[in-house]
Amino acid sequence: MTGTSSAKTTRTAEAAAGVVTEFFDRYRVHDVDGMTDLFSINAGFSYIPVEMWGKQRVLRGEGTVGTVGKPLWFGLIASFPDLSNTVHTVLSNDDGDVVVQADIEGTQQGAWGLITPAGKHYSEPHLFIFHVGPDLLIDRITGYWNDAGISQQLGHHEVD
Amino acid sequence: MTSSVDTVTPTQTVQAFLDAFAAHDVDAAMAVVDPRVSVTVHPLGVHEQGAGALRTVLADLLRGFPDLMITVSRVITTGDVVTALLTAEGTQAAGYAGAINTEKHLDIEQAWRFTAGGGLITDVAVYWCQAQLYRRLAVKRYDEISIA
Repeated sequence: MTGTSSAKTTRTAEAAAGVVTEFFDRYRVHDVDGMTDLFSINAGFSYIPVEMWGKQRVLRGEGTVGTVGKPLWFGLIASFPDLSNTVHTVLSNDDGDVVVQADIEGTQQGAWGLITPAGKHYSEPHLFIFHVGPDLLIDRITGYWNDAGISQQLGHHEVD
Repeated sequence: MTSSVDTVTPTQTVQAFLDAFAAHDVDAAMAVVDPRVSVTVHPLGVHEQGAGALRTVLADLLRGFPDLMITVSRVITTGDVVTALLTAEGTQAAGYAGAINTEKHLDIEQAWRFTAGGGLITDVAVYWCQAQLYRRLAVKRYDEISIA
């Protein structure tokens, strides 16, 4: 036998769903490094509601998991030390698409954007769209939710 | 004998709904909706049963934004669940979701998650960010939405 052997993976709907389920398990225990280990090196990141309007530019939650996603997850956990998730549905197909309905919740202990901490709790429904590549690494995550719901639950009534 | 609705896939059913909605044809959109459809529109706080609730959601959008343009970027099929990622663009021409008409243009990315079978949509859950919507309509505060 010559060469090196490597474990072969087969992407099925079940395998893709398993990777994404593991992502939420690691998110729940705040293992951000472990979460990012599930993504390919330049995995795309898009949190649609994230946008901060300045006088001359708009910062959006768009980029890669490494440059935007990971800092955002660290920041969320720092501001909401009890941050958690409840996964309601995980549906997938053999093309590697995974659609997840989950609630994200936490109690604010630190500043989050322009929201000052008042010790309030939020829980908000989210829809996540993942794509898992043939190597069983996630190569894209997109998130949808209502940020107005979170702001109001945290006692912040300005539309920033 | 197989009826025609048995051969319609969930994706085709949802595509028919989206095409009709994009064409502002609410009746055609509702023609592929089960009368007992479960309707959840998270940003509007809608959690209801029945086609009337969905018809109201569509009609309100089209009344508020008569030039509404729906651009579907992706349709993802996972069994009988079909998720459509789309952008809604339009110019406000009437009050919407409590916001008075300031004739602002908006563009909002949305996700509509449908469950379909037998040629009918039986469940729909809609996700968009109401903060983005109010920001574009020049609303300043959630507790004073009608004061622009």
